[in-house]
Amino acid sequence: MIKTAQDMKSYKKQLKEALSDKFLRTALDNFYTAYRENRPAVYDGIDFEGIKKEIATGKDGALPYLKELYEEFKVHAETAGAKVHIAKNAQQANEIITAIAKEHHVEKIVKAKSMTAEETFLNDHLEKEGFTVTETDLGEWIIQLRKEGPSHMVMPAIHLSRHQVGDLFADVTGKKQNSEDIDKLVKVARQELRPTYLAADMGITGANFAIAESGALGLVTNEGNMRLVTTMPRVHVALVGYDKLIPDLKTMLRILKVLPRNATGQAITSYVTWIKGAVECGASPSNRKVMHIVFLDNGRLALAKDPVFSPALRCIRCGACANVCPVYSKVGGHKYGHVYIGAIGLILTLFYHGIENDRVIVQNCINCQACREVCPVDIDLPHLIKKTYRAVLDQDGKTPAKNLILSRVMKNRRLFHFILRQGYLAQKPLARKGPMIRHLPNFFEKRHGFRSLPVIAETPFRDQWKYLRKQVVRPKYTVALFAGCAVDFIYPEHARALLRLLERHRVQVEFPKDQTCCGLPALMAAEEETARDVALQNIRAVQPENYDYILTLCASCGSHLKHNGFKIFKKDSDWLGNLKEFSDKIIDFSSFMVNVLDVSSEEFKATHKKVAYHAPCHLCRGLHVTAEPRKLIQLAGYTYVRSKDEDVCCGFGGSYSIDFPEISAEILKKKLDNVEDTPAELLVTDCPGCVLQLRGGMDKRRGKIQVKHIAELLAETVF
Amino acid sequence: MPNSDLIQMMKQRAETVQAIVSKITDMEEAVRYTVDLTQKQGGRTVAAAGLNPDEARLMKTACETFQLELLEFPLRPHTHEIHTSFTPADWGIAETGTLVIDSSSEDVRIATMLAETHIAVLPASKIKPDSAALEKELNAVLMADTPSYYAFITGASRTADIERVLAIGVHGPQELHILIVEEDRE
Ligand code: SF4
Ligand code: SF4
Repeated sequence: MIKTAQDMKSYKKQLKEALSDKFLRTALDNFYTAYRENRPAVYDGIDFEGIKKEIATGKDGALPYLKELYEEFKVHAETAGAKVHIAKNAQQANEIITAIAKEHHVEKIVKAKSMTAEETFLNDHLEKEGFTVTETDLGEWIIQLRKEGPSHMVMPAIHLSRHQVGDLFADVTGKKQNSEDIDKLVKVARQELRPTYLAADMGITGANFAIAESGALGLVTNEGNMRLVTTMPRVHVALVGYDKLIPDLKTMLRILKVLPRNATGQAITSYVTWIKGAVECGASPSNRKVMHIVFLDNGRLALAKDPVFSPALRCIRCGACANVCPVYSKVGGHKYGHVYIGAIGLILTLFYHGIENDRVIVQNCINCQACREVCPVDIDLPHLIKKTYRAVLDQDGKTPAKNLILSRVMKNRRLFHFILRQGYLAQKPLARKGPMIRHLPNFFEKRHGFRSLPVIAETPFRDQWKYLRKQVVRPKYTVALFAGCAVDFIYPEHARALLRLLERHRVQVEFPKDQTCCGLPALMAAEEETARDVALQNIRAVQPENYDYILTLCASCGSHLKHNGFKIFKKDSDWLGNLKEFSDKIIDFSSFMVNVLDVSSEEFKATHKKVAYHAPCHLCRGLHVTAEPRKLIQLAGYTYVRSKDEDVCCGFGGSYSIDFPEISAEILKKKLDNVEDTPAELLVTDCPGCVLQLRGGMDKRRGKIQVKHIAELLAETVF
Repeated sequence: MPNSDLIQMMKQRAETVQAIVSKITDMEEAVRYTVDLTQKQGGRTVAAAGLNPDEARLMKTACETFQLELLEFPLRPHTHEIHTSFTPADWGIAETGTLVIDSSSEDVRIATMLAETHIAVLPASKIKPDSAALEKELNAVLMADTPSYYAFITGASRTADIERVLAIGVHGPQELHILIVEEDRE
């Protein structure tokens, strides 16, 4: 049975268990790396971005017409001898299928993998009704025998080791199994299940596609079990979500280009099968299959009309959003979803399985954007996850205390900055003399101690500005510096490094005084209204019309300011014009140095020190800046050394690292291990948040590698 | 793309998914290949579905000569004993090394699903560059009012469900052999 945590305390307990499961950790870590490494080769010669947009547009175009597509499908399928049903909810779907089974005197049922049947808990229902149900997909069979739910939408048993499977098969067959030989274990399933197909009266499958114009189902599989399930028994029932309806074959062939590639790294699966109507079947007295197709609504038709969440229905269940998720890779699917798993699971659970199963898990997203980048149907998953969290808070009608405080404080810049300044005084005794707090005071729990914390600056950048500002004669560019809280209050030296680098370039830098937090933390806490309020404060404070660029040293501020405003402002807001100008002028440090100032290696003295690079999530995926920082490292006279998984999250995620320190620590550990595997002497990145995390972790493990913001790195070699 | 390139691509892509691909000259050679392979693998039975009467006769003679049992239709009662199956393929898709087989006949389905080894004969002239090039033909089948079961088959059945280790031959055939015949079947 699936046991999804319903409160934070039991969730934390579950997470701890998962994090200490050695096999799970290795299996998921290996998978995580392998999936990402294979991906470029799998997509060689394919215009992923192009196809993704096409599919998304096509899917969105069909959503308002699901009912019509259903009618069209039904006419064609029934002409060919099938019977088509609608189930309003899970219970109804299960009852319809039970009734079909009873009508045809079914006793034994074989099933091919279907996430939709998992959604309705069909097996439980059928078993209660007295039917024998056997899953035939290898992974599904294994977890059925173990009475578990799937831990991945494509590889349901990925959480199990060969030894666990071997022991299980030994129980099933009554014979000892050689667990080292996976081929043999697979053959056990082949032998054990063969007679089951032949004896079954009814086969149940899902479908990947329901093609309206022809009434045919499309199924994409590898093992061959689905083909047997749809061939041997005299009855076939397909349980299909409404969202699987597509207008035509062309649409299916297009999706088929990405589905197997994304799901399993195959150009195509072993089998792609189209089934239309009641095909020939020697087991049936009429020599025709008894064929039923049940379309499941269960909230989908309402979701299709939802202005915010409808894109979730584009999902083709490729599972990739779990594959690339750093959190999934640490805790596995049983702790990262309910029935549906991974990023999309955090969203769909609310709609299909209720608030009680989503309330806690939906908070466990670090917002690294990795899922969004691989999603072949272009769902803005991280954004919808936050929207889902908002919906959870609204339905509960409660605002957590931390959200109340956050909103109150962030809306009031003076108060906010006052508190930050107080922070310096409060922590002074802890820091002793150094720049780091190594030992947290006792009211912090131990699990927060995985990194040292930086000391809040004695004089924030905003107070230093009056001494630092320089008037430039005939400037080439006039630039507003958007410092962001971290640079302003923790790392003013990053901004000073920037000023030093710009000296020779005739750039007039201004620091608009009333700027405040970019608002990302508010959005992460699903406090959209506060985020909007803060965004307006910033637009008013900066007045983008006065500048050529708005320059930021923080990737998170940069990508938030560039993109998120459009998601949180009302479509008819009077501020859209200003917002657009603000967004257009946002530029990150590396892009500014390389693409605007065109800095050359002559400005720097070569040191050839070896430098590893961490690509901040919000720079490489948020702003799509990848080449510039690496180029800059080399221009500045350093030797850039590649490390493994450079573009994987560092585990910071703002308040995430405080809410889920155990996971943050694990992600960080892997990151630092990878860096320490290189000969690098320095580790640089272009986000003060990442600097905080990486430096804190490096300090705690007494590592020798120095962590720097890329602006600091450059300032060290500039002539 | 010239046909020889398509054949080459078909062969190469099918081989990357562990299919065994050979070029042959005619049906007689295909039949010989089938009996040889069956004997080599220690198989005793052959199920041949979807053949025209001449081809069926060739197969029957060959099986008799080599003392293999050519299973009778319908195949359903023989599901537990099919060693080799032999079927024509309607189309090939070079881009992915895929066979396209109209499996609406239950015998074709049983043959292609339950055999240990599946041998498919693919006329070279029926190889298309990609699935888009087959859209019209495929749609013609699906749009007809009659029931249909249509299949793309690419390599032997496979799984990676245990520790993500690729294993070939799960519930479907354990081996897929593709014989590309340059001469037209008709
Ligand atoms: S944004 Fe990152 S952490 Fe959140 S679900 Fe997506 S991949 Fe996972
Ligand atoms: S949301 Fe996107 S990436 Fe995730 S399973 Fe669905 S289609 Fe795949």
